[in-house]
Amino acid sequence: MSQMTATPAPALVPGRDFVAQWGIALLTVALVAAPLVPIVYQSFSDRPLYDGAGNLSLDNYIKLFGSAQFMRVLWNTFALGALTTILGTLIGVAAAIVIGRTNMPGRALIGEVLIWPLYISHLVLGFGFSVMYGPSGYVTLSLAQVLGDSPWDLYTIPGMAVICAIAQAPITYLFCVASTQAADPSLEDAARISGASPFRALWTISIPLLRPAIVYAVILNFTVALELLAIPLLFGRPAGLEFLTTYLYEHGIDAATPDYGLVGAAGALLLGIVSFLLWLQSRLLRDSGRFVTMGGKAARPRVLNLGMWRWPVFAGMAFYLLAGVIIPLLGVGLRAVTSFLTPLLPFWEVLTLDHFVLIFSYPAYIRSILNTIGIALFGGALCTLFVAMVAIVVHRSEFRYGRTLELIATYPRAVPGLLAGIGFLWAMLVFPPLALLHNTIWILVLAYVMRYLPTGFGAMSPMLLQIGRELDRASRTVGADWWTTATRILLPLIKPALFSTFAILFVAFFREYSAAVFLISPGAEVIGTMLLSFWIQGDAGPVAALAAFQVLLTFLFVYGARHLLGVKIYG
Amino acid sequence: MAEVRIQGLVKRFGPVVAVDHVDLTIADGEFLTLLGPSGCGKSTTLAAVAGLDRPDGGSIQVGDTVYYDSASGAFLPPERRNCGLVFQSYALWPHMTVAENCTYPLKLRRMSRADRQRRVEEALALVEMQPYAARYPHQLSGGQQQRVALARTLVYRPTILLLDEPLSNLDAKLRERARTWLAQITKKVGLTTIYVTHDQIEALALSDRIAVMREGRIAQLDVPRVIYEQPSDPFVADFIGSSNFLKGTAEGVTGDALSIRLDGGRTIQLGLRPGISSGQRVTVAIRPERIAVLAPGEAAPGEGSLLDATIAERSYLGSRWMYHLEVGPTVLRVETPRELPVGAVHLHVPPGAALVFAGEEAPEA
Repeated sequence: MSQMTATPAPALVPGRDFVAQWGIALLTVALVAAPLVPIVYQSFSDRPLYDGAGNLSLDNYIKLFGSAQFMRVLWNTFALGALTTILGTLIGVAAAIVIGRTNMPGRALIGEVLIWPLYISHLVLGFGFSVMYGPSGYVTLSLAQVLGDSPWDLYTIPGMAVICAIAQAPITYLFCVASTQAADPSLEDAARISGASPFRALWTISIPLLRPAIVYAVILNFTVALELLAIPLLFGRPAGLEFLTTYLYEHGIDAATPDYGLVGAAGALLLGIVSFLLWLQSRLLRDSGRFVTMGGKAARPRVLNLGMWRWPVFAGMAFYLLAGVIIPLLGVGLRAVTSFLTPLLPFWEVLTLDHFVLIFSYPAYIRSILNTIGIALFGGALCTLFVAMVAIVVHRSEFRYGRTLELIATYPRAVPGLLAGIGFLWAMLVFPPLALLHNTIWILVLAYVMRYLPTGFGAMSPMLLQIGRELDRASRTVGADWWTTATRILLPLIKPALFSTFAILFVAFFREYSAAVFLISPGAEVIGTMLLSFWIQGDAGPVAALAAFQVLLTFLFVYGARHLLGVKIYG
Repeated sequence: MAEVRIQGLVKRFGPVVAVDHVDLTIADGEFLTLLGPSGCGKSTTLAAVAGLDRPDGGSIQVGDTVYYDSASGAFLPPERRNCGLVFQSYALWPHMTVAENCTYPLKLRRMSRADRQRRVEEALALVEMQPYAARYPHQLSGGQQQRVALARTLVYRPTILLLDEPLSNLDAKLRERARTWLAQITKKVGLTTIYVTHDQIEALALSDRIAVMREGRIAQLDVPRVIYEQPSDPFVADFIGSSNFLKGTAEGVTGDALSIRLDGGRTIQLGLRPGISSGQRVTVAIRPERIAVLAPGEAAPGEGSLLDATIAERSYLGSRWMYHLEVGPTVLRVETPRELPVGAVHLHVPPGAALVFAGEEAPEA
C-alpha cells in the first residue's frame, strides 16, 4: 500500500467567497437604498429631482405641516389605521383561540377559509364589498327593500376599517395560532391542577402568553393599514376622505404637474412613521423571555370543550366568513358573469360572458395578464434565489456584517408598496443606467423583489436555521470553500424552503398592485393596476371579470402547489 | 385522611394499553414511588390521579372523595381535585413573577389579600426562595425554578402531592442536593405523595414504598430494601441495580442451599428459593458489586461458590476497574477496585449475591 500523503483540496478560485459574500451584501444594499435615497433626498430639496441638484431646505416639510388639509389627512390615516388594527386583531385572536384550541365543529375548513383574504389583494376584496355591500350593492339593496333604508355606509372610516380588518385578520390569526400550538400545554395543566376552570386557565394563562404574537400582529396591522391604497382610494375619495397614500397618489400621479417636493416629504414622513413602528415592535418584543414557553415534552395543547356553545360559536364564525369573505368573492364572480347585478332582477336573466370576451379581445388586458404571470413566476423565482443567498450569508457564513445585512434585508417591511414605486420611478430619473428599464416589466420585478425581500427572508430563515450547522461545517472540513458549501450543500438541503418561499412570493407578486401604480407604462401593465384604473373609471364589469380570473388563477396555484407539490403556503 | 385507593385502573391510547388494571393503595402520609422505564405507564397513572387524562376503566378515590369511577361514570375535573402536581418541566407561568405564580391558586380559592400574602411568604420561606419573590421564572436557575414549582404546589395545601420526575431536569450534582432537600420537605409537610421517576437511586432514597412498573402493570410493590434485595423477577432485578444474568438448570437442594448447574458446566451454590424444583430451567441474577474477582490460586474470602472466568476486556474508570468476564457462554460485567491482568481468574459468588428465578426470561444485557 502506498504512503498516504496529505493533499488539501485546492482553492478553486482564491477569494471567491469574499467576492460572493460582498457581492450579495452590496446588491442587497443597492436594492434597498435605490428607492429610498431619492425620496429622502427629494424631501429636503427645493427643486424637483430631474432638475439637477437643488438646495437643501426644510421648505417641503414646512409646507406640508402648514396645510390644514394635510393635518386632516394625517388624522384620517391614523383613525383608519387604529380602527383596522383593533378590529383585525380582535378577529384574528378570537379565531386563533376558537380554531386552535376548542372543539368547535369544522375547525379545519373555517381556518382555511379564514386565510383566503391573504391570497387575494385588498383591491379584489374591496371590489367584492363594493359589489355586495356598496350603496347600490346586491346585499345592501336587498336589505333596503325590507328595512326601507340602507343599513350601513361603507364610504366612511369605520366602513373601510371593516373591509381592511377582514383583509388583515389572517395575519393575526396565523401568528396567534402558531403561538398557541407551540405553547407548553403543561402551563395550562398546572393552572387546572391549581384549581382553575378550563376557561379561567385559558383566560389567565394562555391568552396572556399570546402577548408577543399579539404585539407583533398589532404593529404589523397598523403598518399595513397605513400603506393601504385601494380601499382609501375607492371608498374614501368619493366621500372626500383623504389618506396619506391617496394624498401621495393624487399629488404624484393624478395632478397635472406633480409636486415632487411635497410628495417627497409626505413619502419620507410615511417612511419615518412606519420605521418607528417597526423599531417599537422590536423594542417591545425584546424582553420576551417572560413569554417564551419552554416545553418539556412535545405535546399539543388540550382541546377545550365548548359544550353547549359549540354550535353558537360555529355559527358566529361561519356567519363572519360568509359575510366577510365568501359573499364578497361570490359578488366578484357574479358581477363578472352578469351585465347588471341587482336584487331587482334575477341574476340568471342577465347572465353574460361579455366581460370575459371584452378582456380577452383587448391586447392591453391580455398583456396585463401575461405580464402578471411572468412577473410572478420569474420575479418570484429570482427573489427566492436571491433571498436564499442572502439568508445563507446572514446565517451561515463568517461574513462580518451579517447582522447588519439582515437588518437591511428586512427593512423594506417599512416601505409601503406605493413608496417603493415612487422611489424606483425617481431612481430611474437620477440614475441613468436604471432608466434602461423604463417602460419594461423589469423595473416592476426590481420593485417587487425589493418590497418582498423581508417576506421571503422571513419564510426562508426558520427553515434554514433548522439545518444542523455540522452539515456545512463538515463540508468545509473536507475541503469545500464557502461558495461550494452554500450552493452544493445548503441550497439542496433547503429545497422545501425554496419551494414554499417561492409559492408565497408568487402569490404576493401575483396580487401586488400598489408598488406598480407608479411604474407601469403602456405595454408593461399588470392585472392589479388594470383593475384599479378601470374601477376608478367605473367599469365594474371588466373589473369583476379580471378580478375573478385573478382569484381563480391564484386559487388554482395555491391548492395545486399544496396538493400536487406538497408545498406549505401559510399553514 | 388522604388515603389514595386506585382500583383496576386502565388507560388505553388507541391500541396500546398504557395502564393495565393497576391496583394500588397508598396510606395517609405515605411516600410512594412509581418506578420504571419510559413507557411503563407510571406518568399515565399519575396523570390519571391528577385528572389530566380520563382513564378508560377502574376507580380512583382519595380520602372520601371519588376522583374517578368507571362504574358510575364519575370524573372529577382536575381543578376540583385539590391535588398538588409538580411538573417535570416545572410549568411555571412565564408571564407571572414567582410571587404571582404562588398567589394564583390562592386567588382561585378566593382567599383574602392578607391571607394570600401570608401563605405565599410561608411557602416561599419553606423552599428558601423568599428573596426571589419578584423575579420572573426565566431569571431563575433550574434548581430555583424547581423550588418555586414546589412552593406553588404546597401554597394551597393540597390533599395529596404528585411529583412527576421533578429532578430529571437538573444536572447530576444539583440533583443529589435537591433529592436530600426534597426528602426533608416532604417529611416536614407529611402529605401523601406519589412520586414518578425512572431513576432507581431517587426511588430507593426517597420512598416509603416503591411500585416498580412494567408494561402498564405493577411488577413489584414493596419497601425499598426488599425491592433491592429480593426483586420478584429478573426485570426488577435488572432495573434496580443492573444485574448480570446466567442461565442454568436447578440440580438439587443440599441443606439450605440450592445447587445450579450453569450452562457451560460450572455449578453454583445459592440461597434456597421457594418454588424452584430440581431439573427446572432457571435464570441466575448476580449483583455485580457483591462478587469478588480473585487472581488464580487466591483463597476464597468466605463461603460461596467459585467460578472459572476469563477477563476478556478491562477498562479503567478512575476509582475502579470494569471487567468483562467470560463465564462459559455468557459475559458478566463486574466493577472492582482491584487491578488484574487480562487472562484467567476466579469469581467468588457469596450465597446472598445472586438470586434465582424460574424460567429463562432475562432482560437484554
